Amino acid sequence: MTMTTPRLTLAAAVLGLSALSAGAQGFTPENPECIAPANPGGGWDFTCRQVGKQLQDLGLLDQTVQVVNLAGGGGGVAYAEVVNKRNDDNDLIVAASSATSTRLAQGAFPGNTMDQVRWLASVGADYGVIAVAADSEIETLPQLLDIMKNDPRAISVAGGSAVGGWDHLKVLIAADAYGIEDVRTVKYIAFDGGGEAVTQLLAGSVQAFTGDISEAKGFVDSGDIKVIAVLAPERLEGEFSKFPTAREQGVEAVGANWRGFYAPGGMSDAAYDYWVDKIATLYASDEWKATMEANGIAPLDLQGAEFQAFVADSVNQIQTISKEIGIIR
Amino acid sequence: MSDRIFGVIGLLLSVFYIWAALIIEESFLSDAVGPKAFPIIIACVLGLSSIVIALRPDPEPVWPPLGQLAEIAAAAVVMFLYSMLLPEIGFIFATILAATYLAWRLGSTLLGSVLTGLGTSIGIYVIFHLVLGLSLARGPFGF
Amino acid sequence: MDTLSSLADGFAIAITWENMLLALLGCFLGTIMGALPGLGPSNGVAILIPLAFTLGLGATPSLILLTSVYYGAMYGGRISSILLNIPGDEPAMMTCLDGYPMAQKGQAGEALAISGIASFVGSFFATWGLIFLAPQLVKIALLFGPAEYFALFALAFATLGGVSSTNQAKSAFAAALGLGLAMIGVDTQTGVPRFTFGEVHLYDGLDFLVAIVGLFALSEVFIFLEHRHGNADAAKKAVVIGRLTPPMSMIKQCTPTMLRATFLGFLAGVLPGAGASLGSFISYSMEKKLVDKGTFGKGDPRGVAAPEAGNNAAAGGALVPMLALGVPGSGTTAVLLAVLLSLNITPGPLLFTQNPDVVWGLIAALFIANFMLLAMNIPMVGLFTRILMVPPKVLMPIVAMVSFVGIYGISGSTFDLQVMIGFGLLGWVLRKFDVPLVPIILGTLLGNAMESNMRRAITIDNGDWWTLVDSPLALTLWAIAIIGFILPVLVGKVIKSKMRRDDESSLSD
Repeated sequence: MTMTTPRLTLAAAVLGLSALSAGAQGFTPENPECIAPANPGGGWDFTCRQVGKQLQDLGLLDQTVQVVNLAGGGGGVAYAEVVNKRNDDNDLIVAASSATSTRLAQGAFPGNTMDQVRWLASVGADYGVIAVAADSEIETLPQLLDIMKNDPRAISVAGGSAVGGWDHLKVLIAADAYGIEDVRTVKYIAFDGGGEAVTQLLAGSVQAFTGDISEAKGFVDSGDIKVIAVLAPERLEGEFSKFPTAREQGVEAVGANWRGFYAPGGMSDAAYDYWVDKIATLYASDEWKATMEANGIAPLDLQGAEFQAFVADSVNQIQTISKEIGIIR
Repeated sequence: MSDRIFGVIGLLLSVFYIWAALIIEESFLSDAVGPKAFPIIIACVLGLSSIVIALRPDPEPVWPPLGQLAEIAAAAVVMFLYSMLLPEIGFIFATILAATYLAWRLGSTLLGSVLTGLGTSIGIYVIFHLVLGLSLARGPFGF
Repeated sequence: MDTLSSLADGFAIAITWENMLLALLGCFLGTIMGALPGLGPSNGVAILIPLAFTLGLGATPSLILLTSVYYGAMYGGRISSILLNIPGDEPAMMTCLDGYPMAQKGQAGEALAISGIASFVGSFFATWGLIFLAPQLVKIALLFGPAEYFALFALAFATLGGVSSTNQAKSAFAAALGLGLAMIGVDTQTGVPRFTFGEVHLYDGLDFLVAIVGLFALSEVFIFLEHRHGNADAAKKAVVIGRLTPPMSMIKQCTPTMLRATFLGFLAGVLPGAGASLGSFISYSMEKKLVDKGTFGKGDPRGVAAPEAGNNAAAGGALVPMLALGVPGSGTTAVLLAVLLSLNITPGPLLFTQNPDVVWGLIAALFIANFMLLAMNIPMVGLFTRILMVPPKVLMPIVAMVSFVGIYGISGSTFDLQVMIGFGLLGWVLRKFDVPLVPIILGTLLGNAMESNMRRAITIDNGDWWTLVDSPLALTLWAIAIIGFILPVLVGKVIKSKMRRDDESSLSD
């Protein structure tokens, strides 16, 4: 059972001593490892575990990917560890998401920038939604934003991230696009996770909810909440196709919480290509598609250089918005 | 007397805490209360209770002689060294050293200490790493 | 009747050889992990997730394994509390207060047995509550907005005065210290770092497990080091274990306690964000308030039964918001929730209709696990008590090393270990000063939630602080806190000293 993991680790470590030149052609990892920069149970942890498990299930990797939790600083401790101590590790990948790029953009990892690591690939995206309680009088996004524009004190928006975090930014992007002058007047209430935020929407403590589709899914299905805008470039497929995007309501706001991986900055090209290829193959598989669908994750198919550019763009974009609305100076 | 000193230290701690709360750099964007108010309320409770402790001291606790204080300090230092050595020499060796030291200071014979150290280290390794699959610190030899 | 037939279906799903074996394995591993300091239920469940995946288990078997671990850890936490005065996990903290004194009086066996029975009663009735009341209970959870949560936490702190009554100023000091420690880290509301002094490791705050293991387990090691010289002979005195089964009179005495504690614990569990620690805490302090005649804290079996029934009931209660709302009520249910999501099951209002097989299979498994745990724990009391036979010179190094491993294995951080050593020294000093440790842990556990809810409530009401006492429910909670707990502490002293003066004057007359 569990005995297999460490025994292989042990063997791999012994082999590893004699195979120092892992950068040679036909790279295969001796001891694949995935760092989840948070305690067990969170989103990053599951990105690691899910991808690690399916890589092995599909026969893409011979060994079990060992998941190591390295919590701290909202991912900052793991980032610093990879940059400072494990820069040449070819066997290592690290789970990341929009939260990582948001923090990088806002300088919340002191002394670290996105260029210090190599961005591997994305495994999907979770589009933002703005929702209200089912019995609310508000029906459309412009309606909600209009009330906010006239009296920002009338609407409390609940979300699962801290002030200035991704859930908050999504509302601000929408408010900004709608032409609200000082978006800092928008009243945002931070909760510990989307679930708690939705509960308080149902309890009537707040009037609107900003979060990801995966967080809202259960309550949309049960008819407790009403999605008034999906922050996707175009209508989604499947059951979410009945909800209008912000864009088609005249509010130019798109927000995707991507999930993916980065690797140490000093990783050899052979190893980098190897990991990019494996994750791309996994992404294309039917098994992964099923996982995505079940979790309400939308496609985001970016690998290698494309993904690197995407992250750079997203860091720039968040930096610009954050400066505009005054979260960073 | 001890309680009076304790109270004064508590009071100083609360003053330090209020100072540390006041220098929190507020972001541009904040909620209605802000990040400082609650810590300052707590510091006030801390300060008030410290004053009461200083004014109405309990009976004096029994303080150990200097030798035993040194014993405790030494154990803390060994534990600290353990935390530093753990990533360097790996779990097994670091744990043998630390557990042997503790067993020795708690009154085992030298042989007994070494046996306790070995048993603790290997026992924990088997249960936590091999059975439960926790990733423990890996040293140069892979364990 | 519909419910009962669904439950019967659930048993049909759960009772297979494979599932029974998984439940047995889960109960066993859970008990061990609960008893080891540093590995609580949430980490225990998280650690075993890969096992569930490696074995290629389906949704229901995985859940059966993991919830057995969850319930098992709730049982296991009490063992080290009673035998070593070290809580195996945070909800077992309250069990130390009377459990360890019982063990010292030579009643270790009875304490373990009565707490095992209390655990069973707590989880058993909580599971029935989960079956029949889940939909109604969700409505209770929806009554609690931020202001009500703040009042609830304030109530918890108000009851502290009753828990450790030696020196109220020291209790208040400890609570404030705990709350202050909880403030360290990035502010969840605005994202600015507080009290971190530029240390990245502190950005996520102090893990309360680091605090609890340091304060209780390591400080215990230091105390043994200190006393080694003086008490070498005392340590050799014969260890008395006591009977391995509690006398009927003890069970009788504890029965009302268990039932009351079950009710309170279950309610605390249902509220997301309160959880098992609050359940065991409130159960203990309310029970002490109700029936204490000066024996609590000195080894009263009711002081063992109350927190154990409370925390196990809360564990069952915490499943209500997790299953019905998709909101985790505690660290453990957060992990279980993540497991559900990764098994492609979306908890939420529709879970009971969409995945009835999973829900009812799970509930049936809870009953099975509970009976297994009772069957496993009562006969094993004799085995557990053997731990007391191990001389401290062998036991204490093991306790120290297990504490280190528990923390390091989860976070992989040497910084956490160093903070833990700091807490160990702090715990030793505070014990010298007779400062209670329980309020510190309660403060670190609840501090952030308390502050966040206060700030949310005030922000929603545009900066009006009166919003904290603006709803009937919040007002009720405040009234219980003030009339029930704070006034007696303040007034009680006056009355007591007056009575004493009256006594003296009557004597001198």
